[in-house]
Amino acid sequence: MDFSITEQQRELQKAIIEFAQKELNQDVILRDKQSTFPLDLWQKCAQMDLMALPFPEKYGGCGMDFFTTVLSIEALASSCKDAGLVHAIITQLVSGLLLNLFGNEEQKTKYLIPVARGQKIAAQAVTEAEAGSDVFSLRTRAERRNGTYAIEGSKIFISNGSIANFVFVLALTNPAKKTLGSHSFFIVEKGQKGFDSGKPIEKMGLRTLQNSELVFDGCIIPAANLVGKEGQGAVIFHEIMEWERILFGACHVGTMMRITEAGVNQARKRRQFGQPIGKFQSISEKIARMKMSGELARLMVYKAAVLKDERKRAALEASIIKVFAGESLKEACMDALQIHGAFGYMTEAEVERDLRDSVASTIYSGTSEINTLIIARLLGL
Amino acid sequence: MIQNNEILDIVKQFIFKELAPDLKPNELDPNQPLLESGIIDSFGIMTLLSFIEDRFKLKLRADDLIPENFETVSAIANLISKGL
Repeated sequence: MDFSITEQQRELQKAIIEFAQKELNQDVILRDKQSTFPLDLWQKCAQMDLMALPFPEKYGGCGMDFFTTVLSIEALASSCKDAGLVHAIITQLVSGLLLNLFGNEEQKTKYLIPVARGQKIAAQAVTEAEAGSDVFSLRTRAERRNGTYAIEGSKIFISNGSIANFVFVLALTNPAKKTLGSHSFFIVEKGQKGFDSGKPIEKMGLRTLQNSELVFDGCIIPAANLVGKEGQGAVIFHEIMEWERILFGACHVGTMMRITEAGVNQARKRRQFGQPIGKFQSISEKIARMKMSGELARLMVYKAAVLKDERKRAALEASIIKVFAGESLKEACMDALQIHGAFGYMTEAEVERDLRDSVASTIYSGTSEINTLIIARLLGL
Repeated sequence: MIQNNEILDIVKQFIFKELAPDLKPNELDPNQPLLESGIIDSFGIMTLLSFIEDRFKLKLRADDLIPENFETVSAIANLISKGL
């Protein structure tokens, strides 16, 4: 398996890093405090083609492979301190991937182009109050009625939910089946009668990312908004989770690289008892562990991205990434705060925010517990 | 060219070994519903897809990934035969 990075890919990473450092890192403390989504910066990211990378040129994309997309997200997360914005961009990319893989020509023309260009914001609505990774417990219903579907139910914690122009909703279409063919994906547009998004929910971290409840109360949509085929929902969900977990893994790798570099700088600069604190083993060991975790997670992310480019399954690799990179990021952020000491605990240092942002990395896109279960199941246990 | 009954046997062996180790060979009819009986669940389908693509060197298209193609061992074998 070839992970070699071309000169062109390195140049792209460099351009993204320079862009993020110059354009995206002002006022992050204020945005975090106010939980505001930076629409102006979203538009700048769209102009940088960050949402267009893996999509065909005919749908407004850059026609790049998934490996290059992963390298770009890693570069973005390594340089953009607004983790909520990076998360929103990943949600947009995953929405586009869902459409590109399973949407028909009309849907791609209508929805994928504005997704790739960043002109419209997209979200996926799967989670419900009583159902997360257990998709067979979802209660939101979509009933077919004379060329339309009537959707009833609600979703919760939906990333980009309150700002999305359209949402990919997973709903129960055949409750009698109670098996793989019972669910389907639909596109529901903002403004559709019977569809409401709640206010953004206040969170511990990732505060610029807008998560909200979505309510479907007598929401009638055209049958043409069915994505893929009726009953294909669970298969689409599992497929798309592979891509999503790899992208979040790339994001975590980028963040770990950024905090490792900051940790090294701090450990060289800060002196105690006449020497840099990096000379104390208890500090250097923490930084060495951060580096190890980042590098190991990176290898797995690259392997999985190459597998997806080869159109192979990567469910096992994606779950390994999600557990390892998510847990490693959380641990690394905790260690980073310890290395920065009292200053790290202060908002101004922007280290405590990384820690708050990292906590959800072992929760979204399947908790560490559920991903560990998937790994075991894929081993035949 | 691999015959349909060979494909049936390979798929059945995989199900016995990886997805339903408690099942006895004579308990699995080629037309028995796999999904409704719970022999293959949501996770199991992903394991099966990986196996099919690796073992038969197939790349299943998005259109192929519908529950009807995985309802029974016969349906799975037909899907593989079409792709070979």
